Amino acid sequence: MDLAERIDHFRRVAEEWLRGLYHGMVSHPAYEKIEHEAEDQEDTFMLACFPDAFGIPSPVSYYTAELLPYLEDEFEAWERRMWNRGSLLERKGEQYHF
Amino acid sequence: MERFVFFGGKGGVGKTTMSSAYGQKCARSGLETLVVSTDPAHSTADVFDQEFDDEPRSVEGIENLSVMEIDPDEELERHLMETKRAMGDQVSPAMVNEIDRQIEMAHQTPGAYEAALFDRFIDVMRDADPYERVVFDTSPTGGTLRLLSLPEFLEGWIDRLLHKRKQSIELYERAAIGNREPRRMMDGDPIIARLQERKEMFEFAKETLRDEAAFYLVVNPDELSIRETRRAIDSLADHGLSVRGLAVNKLTPEPDDDEDGRGARYLRDRVATERERLDELHETFDPPVVAEVETRVREVKGSLLAAVADELDVAV
Repeated sequence: MDLAERIDHFRRVAEEWLRGLYHGMVSHPAYEKIEHEAEDQEDTFMLACFPDAFGIPSPVSYYTAELLPYLEDEFEAWERRMWNRGSLLERKGEQYHF
Repeated sequence: MERFVFFGGKGGVGKTTMSSAYGQKCARSGLETLVVSTDPAHSTADVFDQEFDDEPRSVEGIENLSVMEIDPDEELERHLMETKRAMGDQVSPAMVNEIDRQIEMAHQTPGAYEAALFDRFIDVMRDADPYERVVFDTSPTGGTLRLLSLPEFLEGWIDRLLHKRKQSIELYERAAIGNREPRRMMDGDPIIARLQERKEMFEFAKETLRDEAAFYLVVNPDELSIRETRRAIDSLADHGLSVRGLAVNKLTPEPDDDEDGRGARYLRDRVATERERLDELHETFDPPVVAEVETRVREVKGSLLAAVADELDVAV
């Protein structure tokens, strides 16, 4: 293996590592953060749609019930999040990788 | 005259009589007329001596007149079944039970009955094409006012839901930079489409009530009825709806001058008090008094209905 090839190889490896490092440290947590925020927004939406799941009567639950068949994934994830979430602090803290 | 005419008022003042009489009057002058009873305790069947149901049915012996009695229970059932059918197509068997419970629950909340009634209400206004005049015999004041205030209220609610949904989808789309598929997409989102559809329905109701509807209140010459009417006028005004006129019903007939028995004295006293109430109605209320109808000894039906219709000074 001559020098040029070795330098090339090294550069490829370094590039891959750098990209991975950047992804892991900067961009991935950022996606995660945005996605978490989206989930939070979705939770508020679900709660506004189905407060009767928690015993709060809603004037529009008759209308939002017809959305349920299309909200399967959201509904399941929402219920899981609602029941599992220990505290808001825990939920918000999850996104920081200490 | 507007296409949709509403008669409202306290329970037992004679809304059904007035709306049936007005319906008959319109039919007589050649307008294709539909009388819609929205009171859960329907009594139009008693007035016309004929059974009616959720579909418009023409009245025997009176041309151009049809009657329907809205049945929210039927609508509720239909809505429940439709939602469940959609669920069967969409949802995986594992989740069916969970979601089924939620759907059932939503159909038993106190608002469900009203929402179903409201849906039928809008359907009637939407499909009113064959009729030139639709007369609504509404449920007693409280229920009707709530019903009429629904569109604005619900529209606001749906708006907020739409906004939230759009926000979360936007974030999902933003989170999916690069090759990743976003978890949800704005285009073709069935939830947004549904909410939008509902929103349009409420808008239609709001506009129709504002632009194409006239409201009349039926009053009896007694203190309670007058007070409730005052409140009803105020709260209708709060929703941007104005009352076109007051129909005074159940006035006591005056005895002949030469009569002086106990009954005659009673009637004379009664007429005097009612006179005061009537003056109050004439002087302190904005909407004009459009009818002064005397109490009938017998139930108002058949030819008596026509007589009442003649006393009703509401434009056809």
